[in-house]
Amino acid sequence: MKVHIDKDVCAGFGFCLDLAPEVFELNDDGYAVVLSADVPVDKEEAVRTAVMQCPSSAISITENN
Amino acid sequence: MSDTNPQRDEPDFFRSSAFVDDPYTYFNDLRSECPVKQEPHHGVFMVTGYEQALQVYNDPEHFSSVMSTSGPFAGCPIPLAGRENDDISDLIEQYRDQTPFGDQLPTMDPPLHTAHRSLLMRLITPVRLKENEDYMWKQADEQIDTFIAQGECEFMGAYAQPFAVLVISDLLGVPEQDRIEFRRHLIKQEAEGAGIGGIEDGDAQHSPIEWLYEKFAAYIQDRRDNPTGDILSGLAAATFPDGSVPEPIDVARVASNLFAAGQETTVRLLSYAFSLIGDRPDLQAQLREDRGLIPNFVEECLRLEGPIKGDFRLAKKPVTVGGVDIPSGSFLYIANSAANRDPQQFPEPNDFKLERSEARTHVAFGRGRHACPGAPLARAEAITSINQMFDRTSDIRVSEKVHGPPGARRYSYLPTFILRGLTHINLEFDPI
Repeated sequence: MKVHIDKDVCAGFGFCLDLAPEVFELNDDGYAVVLSADVPVDKEEAVRTAVMQCPSSAISITENN
Repeated sequence: MSDTNPQRDEPDFFRSSAFVDDPYTYFNDLRSECPVKQEPHHGVFMVTGYEQALQVYNDPEHFSSVMSTSGPFAGCPIPLAGRENDDISDLIEQYRDQTPFGDQLPTMDPPLHTAHRSLLMRLITPVRLKENEDYMWKQADEQIDTFIAQGECEFMGAYAQPFAVLVISDLLGVPEQDRIEFRRHLIKQEAEGAGIGGIEDGDAQHSPIEWLYEKFAAYIQDRRDNPTGDILSGLAAATFPDGSVPEPIDVARVASNLFAAGQETTVRLLSYAFSLIGDRPDLQAQLREDRGLIPNFVEECLRLEGPIKGDFRLAKKPVTVGGVDIPSGSFLYIANSAANRDPQQFPEPNDFKLERSEARTHVAFGRGRHACPGAPLARAEAITSINQMFDRTSDIRVSEKVHGPPGARRYSYLPTFILRGLTHINLEFDPI
């Protein structure tokens, strides 16, 4: 699974960081960025939750097939 | 499932006062019939289901935000008749500059919205919001000083309104010496009932926000000519994502929107939170005992009594939501207050549960590209205010004199289809 944040849409709510601190971090302004685009298998569930809960719907995923 | 025949005696949600005190029973009834249902008076599709609300909010391809705060109720200059099967995207753009509130962020669509929102996100970064919190603590304390000794107050006028204006003024770097003017001007405007979404048609083009536009445009021009390194100079230097420099009025609009969107809403959130604290001694005791519960308390307040009842979208193309076919040119009313009580998402949705784990998945701040960027600010304002009031009092009660005894309280609510909130809240307290 790959994860992407649309930086024009992220509003810095920080929910993703609560849910998957291994995958997301905040930049100097406080907006979320992806630490590593490839999501470890044991974090996939948390990232899916982040996609659903992100208030600005800024996170998207693509499954590796 | 949709019902397009004007029918029977269902009161008019948008024009009557039948649902002002309790919109929730009506929303629940609608959702039980169908989470997307056309109301008979204006043909507006009422979206009351959580899943369906998210679908619409997350799909700017099919749904335009044009007239998102007024729907068809402040005049609709776009000739929509007979276009049910067309893609009306170009038609909307053609008439956009004639639409109510058409120059404001909540009504913009991508790509214009993306550029202007990005400008806003550069003005109020999460890091800047954090800095603002320090000021917030001090401001809350000083505001409480002005009424605490009396042991009672009308909390909105005594605290919530001045506090909210001053917090946003500080966030945007309004110079200290001008803040009294902001406070006087903005609270006066509010008392005159200016606002969006009243049941009566207002003069949408003549809004109190003009004063703010002029004020901020002058600040921006001044700081461009003479940068001083203050926050306004930062606003003056902010650019669009493509690096182009906005006109001063563009920055002024975005800054002014923060007052328009962040003032009334915060005031209503605080009012409800404190009415509940005063009404529920058990909850108050629990929160005083464990202040760590306050953030989730605020989320439940937002979920159950969020200040924005709903928001409109206009279908740009024929589309299906919740199994209901929606023709182009139809208005949808996304009822946040209804989605937030959808039992599919929130079990026992009408109960206030301090420990509710899914509380913050509410849509009180909307969802998607237009999700309220002031949400972290609103949360911090509520949490700060509750903590400070707890620090300064040993007990907070709703005034029986004004609102009646427990179990038979009398509250009155704003008569608008956009805002949900008390018109006033009188509290008594024991200062310490």
